[in-house]
Amino acid sequence: MHIILNNTSMVPIYEQLIDQIKNEIISGSLKENEVLPSVRTLSSELRISALTVKKAYDRLEEEGFVVTVHGKGTYVAATDQKLAMEARRKAIEDDFAMIIDKARAIGFEKDEIMEIVKIILEDH
Amino acid sequence: MLNVEKIVKNYGDFRLDVSFEIPDGTVTGIVGKNGAGKSTTIKLILGLIRPDEGHVYINGKEASQLSGKDKQELGVALSESGFSSYLCIKDIIVILRKMYPDFDEKFFTDNCNIQKLPFDKKIKEFSTGMRAKLRVLVAISHKAKLLIMDEPTAGLDVEARNDILDLLRKYLADNEDCSILLTSHISSDLEGLCDDVYLLNDGKIILHEDTDTILSNYGVIKVDEEMYEKLDKTLILSSRKDHYGYQCFTNDRKFYAENYPGIVIENGSIDDLILMMTGGK
Repeated sequence: MHIILNNTSMVPIYEQLIDQIKNEIISGSLKENEVLPSVRTLSSELRISALTVKKAYDRLEEEGFVVTVHGKGTYVAATDQKLAMEARRKAIEDDFAMIIDKARAIGFEKDEIMEIVKIILEDH
Repeated sequence: MLNVEKIVKNYGDFRLDVSFEIPDGTVTGIVGKNGAGKSTTIKLILGLIRPDEGHVYINGKEASQLSGKDKQELGVALSESGFSSYLCIKDIIVILRKMYPDFDEKFFTDNCNIQKLPFDKKIKEFSTGMRAKLRVLVAISHKAKLLIMDEPTAGLDVEARNDILDLLRKYLADNEDCSILLTSHISSDLEGLCDDVYLLNDGKIILHEDTDTILSNYGVIKVDEEMYEKLDKTLILSSRKDHYGYQCFTNDRKFYAENYPGIVIENGSIDDLILMMTGGK
């Protein structure tokens, strides 16, 4: 598992952790039934508090990416490709929603927002 | 694991009055300025000084009633090792073997080797860093369930601090149900290790928060006077006037980032917490 955390990012550490583990699962580098490091092991390796790791694992379990068996560990759940794509789509939608809120807050109208999106799309 | 119920100690005009709890398997930090009462709290828990009021329970047992066997489950590192400085590690091993039936001699000697601690040099010839490492190694070499450490990294350089924190992290990874209580005023130590933090100021706990929450939700907002007047202050914990305007400490930086686009917000750290919550207004 490759995890790189950015301590100065505005994105909370546990969210960075969730995103990166999700990506590993969606891309297939973490396979079904593979066991994740224990909470304490991962917290020790990444030098973050155990509670942060636990929070990330709990969220991944809620979203159906992993399963925790008490006393045994946390495993990668059977990945439904459709579900995985859905999750990615949701993440993108959330990001867009955030940007739109931001733009609206400083008074941009729908047309202006669409204009910006178009310009950026053309550049990429 | 550890329960501190309304423990009170008066020293002249200083009054310590704290209550807190450390559940099994958590790492808790106590932060605060010098003289806030951190070491007094630790000494009260260990029964090195008697409280005027209140109780300390370790695993449900009143701390003053602990048997020798119960005390085996504690691992303690204070500012002094408690061993005569004329002893060397070879002598200390003999003492630890007698003192703790669960003393893991192999673990201890292996780690002394890794940390390059000499076995037949007197402790008084040790550097500050070597002494600090020895104190921590002594505390973690008998499978203690609760580690109590008073400033385990005080006065050390970055590398020695990291070595000590890594020792503790490894111990936690190998002993999943063990808990740690530690004090420190070096916030990066606490941020990467503690699950929650108590802020002690002038003998009282003024804030208790998960480290994770501090790092992900707290922040310092920097605004000029004009903006400060307009700012919704319901989620501002404390503000401080600076030469260019105001610094405001919030426990919900996302709220301000979303409602005041373009505003300068820095991520909160435990240092900010101490400075902004205990400093003058």
